[in-house]
Amino acid sequence: MLMELRGIEKRFGGITALRDGNLQVDAGQVHLLMGENGAGKSTLMKIVAGLYERDGGEMVWKGQPVHLRRPAEASAIGIAMVHQESLLAPHLSVAENIFLGREPRVAPGFVDRRKMAAQAARLIEEHHFPLQSDWRVEKLSPAGKQLVEICRAIQNGSSLLIFDEPTSSLSEGESQEVFRIVRTLRDRQMGVIYITHRLDELRSVGDVVTVLRDGQTVHSGAMAELSREQLIQHMVGREVSSIYRREPVEAGEELLGVKHVSRSPLLQDISFQLRAGEIVGMAGLVGAGRTELCRTLFGLDAMDNGQVMVAGKAVRLRSPRDAVAAGIALIPEDRQQAGLARQLSVMHNMTIANLAAVSRFGFLRSAAEGRVAAEYMHRLRIKAESGRQLAGRLSGGNQQKVVIAKWLVRGARVFLFDEPTRGIDVGAKVEVFETMDRLARAGAAILMVSSELAELLQVADRILVMRQGRLTGELSGAATQEQIMQLAAHESPGRPFAGAEGILS
Amino acid sequence: MIQRLLPFLTLAALFVGLCIASPHFLTSTNLSSVVRQTAVINIMALGMTIIIIAGGIDLSVGSILAMGGLLGTMAMEKGMPIPVGVAVGIFTGMFCGLTNGLLTTKLRINPFIVTLGTLGIVRGLALIISNGLPVHQIPAGFSFLGEGNLLQVPFVLWILLVCAVAMHVILEHTSLGRYAFAIGSNPEAALYAGINVGFYTTAVYTIGGMLTGLSGMIEASRLMTGQPTAGQGYELQAIAAVVIGGGSLRGGEGSVMGTLVGAFIMGLLANGSDLLGISPYLQQAIIGAVIILAVAFDELRKRRMI
Repeated sequence: MLMELRGIEKRFGGITALRDGNLQVDAGQVHLLMGENGAGKSTLMKIVAGLYERDGGEMVWKGQPVHLRRPAEASAIGIAMVHQESLLAPHLSVAENIFLGREPRVAPGFVDRRKMAAQAARLIEEHHFPLQSDWRVEKLSPAGKQLVEICRAIQNGSSLLIFDEPTSSLSEGESQEVFRIVRTLRDRQMGVIYITHRLDELRSVGDVVTVLRDGQTVHSGAMAELSREQLIQHMVGREVSSIYRREPVEAGEELLGVKHVSRSPLLQDISFQLRAGEIVGMAGLVGAGRTELCRTLFGLDAMDNGQVMVAGKAVRLRSPRDAVAAGIALIPEDRQQAGLARQLSVMHNMTIANLAAVSRFGFLRSAAEGRVAAEYMHRLRIKAESGRQLAGRLSGGNQQKVVIAKWLVRGARVFLFDEPTRGIDVGAKVEVFETMDRLARAGAAILMVSSELAELLQVADRILVMRQGRLTGELSGAATQEQIMQLAAHESPGRPFAGAEGILS
Repeated sequence: MIQRLLPFLTLAALFVGLCIASPHFLTSTNLSSVVRQTAVINIMALGMTIIIIAGGIDLSVGSILAMGGLLGTMAMEKGMPIPVGVAVGIFTGMFCGLTNGLLTTKLRINPFIVTLGTLGIVRGLALIISNGLPVHQIPAGFSFLGEGNLLQVPFVLWILLVCAVAMHVILEHTSLGRYAFAIGSNPEAALYAGINVGFYTTAVYTIGGMLTGLSGMIEASRLMTGQPTAGQGYELQAIAAVVIGGGSLRGGEGSVMGTLVGAFIMGLLANGSDLLGISPYLQQAIIGAVIILAVAFDELRKRRMI
């Protein structure tokens, strides 16, 4: 037994984040830690990594009871954590980040830069990472940063490595690469704890699974003995139909026409249309240009060439204002950063893109705003105390609905969803799909960019695939994951990563 | 809730404390002097409120105040009627604010740097224009602006009231105000919502400059001179008033009521120090400490909310 946690408790102010966290890890084992957002997974692991101090319970490490108060203490006994959000210094190089805080030294206080670069290069080569030790970290994509985090964790010679949702920002191919690394670590007799809420990736990696719900361990056992449905049931605490299938509707007139749009070098000659009532999926690896396409269609980046038609009329997209005026809405991947004003109330977030509708003689009418808020909270089933609640206080799924409501208030008809289910609970995902379905049925056209192939297949009427800035194909909603991957993957076989152009953002 | 009320409670406690500590405090002469002293900072702070709400900052207000007062009084010196002189001062401030706004949005320079630069530039220009000498030839009637009474209440209090109500209406009931909150809360989300972020940010600085120009004229009227060196260090007090009143330098938060309370807290601190014979040097240090305390309380409150 490498580590055992018994009855771990943790409170933040009046909120109990963990009430009974139990977990046992052996060396040479990949242990999956699952649960919905807010179930306490990250909190439990931060206690193990010394980032939080526990309020109760016991932690036994290699037979000895331990009480960790600082990350340095955890690191000293051989526990390392790869964080979900990047905890790297963006202005430093890859090598400097890998060795941050434990640089090889020439003399006290003086860093041996050459040795550091050489060690980093060796580590990178050993694992075939598409990185170079002298690259500045700020230039890396999320996937690249994740790799640096992994390097940092494994170079330390740890015996327990914790991954906090390592693949949430990675594409399919890159996820496979992370799994390969995880297996290598297991084969070296390390213990691995792997936090995730993606169900489909698990079978290939996990030996044992522990499920947390509401701060409590509700299940722990061998992965092979559990079905997907049982797992979901443990996580959600009730039965959920894991297979969502959308009933397609008859597509109407063309709402968005994209013709030969290029933005060198990221987008090359992209053409497609979206029709009213359609949900069109967009698949591709990280760096294939999907997010760039959304940005360009929303007027955030200028296009070199090509034309965009909205409802049959050519529009010029020089800024988001033009896009918004034309009826295009973007629900960005990073809702918190680009979609939502957290300090504003739910109501004010909803009306911000169309204040004219709630104004009279240039003055805002709060009664009208209140009516709008009430209507859309009801229509989209937004769970909030009231329209006056601060938007930042809502759950991820409800924040997303507020962003959608904002666009409905504005009268948008073309919706670009960039990774709509990222960071959303299993239970809430179905609700996201239902919201999209309702939008489509009400006559909107939807482009859904997603790295979750299974979800694209569940929801989309047809699926466009991008590779290296080009559209490489269109598949029907009845396609298979393999067909999509064939179009999305690079020609050169055996290279799991997109290479430098995919890693550099 | 207690933390939200803290500025009000502080103000009330200061008031009561001073009533007890000094027999000279609760007299109409002293109180009206507090109001006049505070009005200049208060009106500047109202402009600073909307700037800070929109996620910006204006360090150049002290220099703008001097420039406004200088050009306004110079216009009167040249024989222009008083209202025109006042308008010149306000317009000067507006122009300076517009410049700050355009530099911030068009060149995309951090407002901290832009206004640090214009702080120097505007002050330098004021000294060049005036040759470093104050303007004295001002019509006597001009003193009414800063020293006169209307219905037995200092005229500046009426001006402050009008400005405060106008700013409150802008912030809470117009799209300009709503956009200021949105831009300050999350500029990227504001851009994504199709808001013309550059235009509204510039507008916010322009309004701030306008109010600073007005304060410049009030200051000039109180001293009956146009001083090119006026207003030094006022940016500290204006920012402090906003922050003490619950404004956040990260943007997206702030209110007219809070700023008024913040400015009066500082006014009472200064007045109280004078009455109790505390050195003006120590007053500076006290103001600095109060700013840090106010922000510390605010941070604590936010951390506890998470």
